[in-house]
Amino acid sequence: MRTSEALPTSAGRDEASPAVVLEEISDMLRQVLGEDDVGEGIEITRATAFLEDLGLESIDLVVLAGHLDARYGSRVNFAEFIADLDLDEIIGLTVGRLVDYVASCLLETRAGSVAGGER
Amino acid sequence: MAQIPANGIQLHVLRMPAKARPRADGQYPTVVFIHGLGPDSLASFYFTLAAPVSSAGIEVIAYDLRGHGRSGRPPTEYRLTDFVADLAALLDTLEVPRPVHLVGNSYGGTVAFSYALLHPERVASLVMIEAEPATELWSRKIAKLFDRLSRLDDPGEMASVTTQHGEYVARLAKVTSHKLHTTTMARDVVSGPLLSREQIQSVQSPVIAILGSESDFVDKAELASLLPGCRMVIVPGQGHWLLMDAPHTVRDLLLSWIAEYHPPAPQQPPARVRRPHAEVSPA
Repeated sequence: MRTSEALPTSAGRDEASPAVVLEEISDMLRQVLGEDDVGEGIEITRATAFLEDLGLESIDLVVLAGHLDARYGSRVNFAEFIADLDLDEIIGLTVGRLVDYVASCLLETRAGSVAGGER
Repeated sequence: MAQIPANGIQLHVLRMPAKARPRADGQYPTVVFIHGLGPDSLASFYFTLAAPVSSAGIEVIAYDLRGHGRSGRPPTEYRLTDFVADLAALLDTLEVPRPVHLVGNSYGGTVAFSYALLHPERVASLVMIEAEPATELWSRKIAKLFDRLSRLDDPGEMASVTTQHGEYVARLAKVTSHKLHTTTMARDVVSGPLLSREQIQSVQSPVIAILGSESDFVDKAELASLLPGCRMVIVPGQGHWLLMDAPHTVRDLLLSWIAEYHPPAPQQPPARVRRPHAEVSPA
């Protein structure tokens, strides 16, 4: 499983920036798919669709959810995110849409912890 | 997400805690989601019911059947008894302390029903989504379906599926066809063991069947005659993929069904009301 030293959030990287989230989700996808499959020139961008472009099976998205959970814990709830989508939206789900969701969750929980008792 | 050894193979299991307070009886109900055959996996439940059911204060267990999703895929042993034994071993290993509500989609409901016949004391109720018990009629229907699926390695057949249902469904069909060619699933599944009318009617667990009005997968009149005590809900405008296509309807039916057995806890008056002096102190 991933360790936090691979992701130095204190060294000038903004964990909630979409670029950083994209990088981390791309890493998770390589683990889900196995290095071999992604090594063959598949580029992961915001426009990449998990099921349509990467050839993921739906169960792979559940495995990806496990990686998201290990990395972000309760700050990101992928199960709730995906339960709000209909089947066509899941089939067409892009990396960018997930990145934006994760980034917004991270910003929201950060705002919550700054606001503290006011909430 | 975990890999749990059960009945000689590894099963991929998802367990989500009940996220609200306990019911009036002080307990959390537990549901076990059992998906269908072929291209299906626990993802169908993860995408639709898992999060809302867990948020409603119900513990969720979902797993990939053998040969499906991320569970082990032995080359042989795909009889109904194998799937039922997997479920029994899994619930033993997870040490679920109470009878569970089994929620099965398509073949998952068939597995649930046969499990309830063998282990009535461990089943609180059966929720059969587009599903029926393992009858002779059911077996013939599955055999026909698998026959068509296994011929999908023929390019012509495949092209016609792509035209009719699109790329995504075509890819699922291809994966399933491969699975059928590399395991004995197609032959084993239809072998049952099939249940007699007497066996079916001896099952005491309460049953709700949730069926699509446009689906002819389950013969509704036949099911009503087999299970006279079963509550049948027919969802208008829906076909066999009702779980994925109408998840909110299925969710509402499931939650109200479970609430009949585990009434929600009565609203506790806030502590402040009982101790009026507390009102003056800062919150």
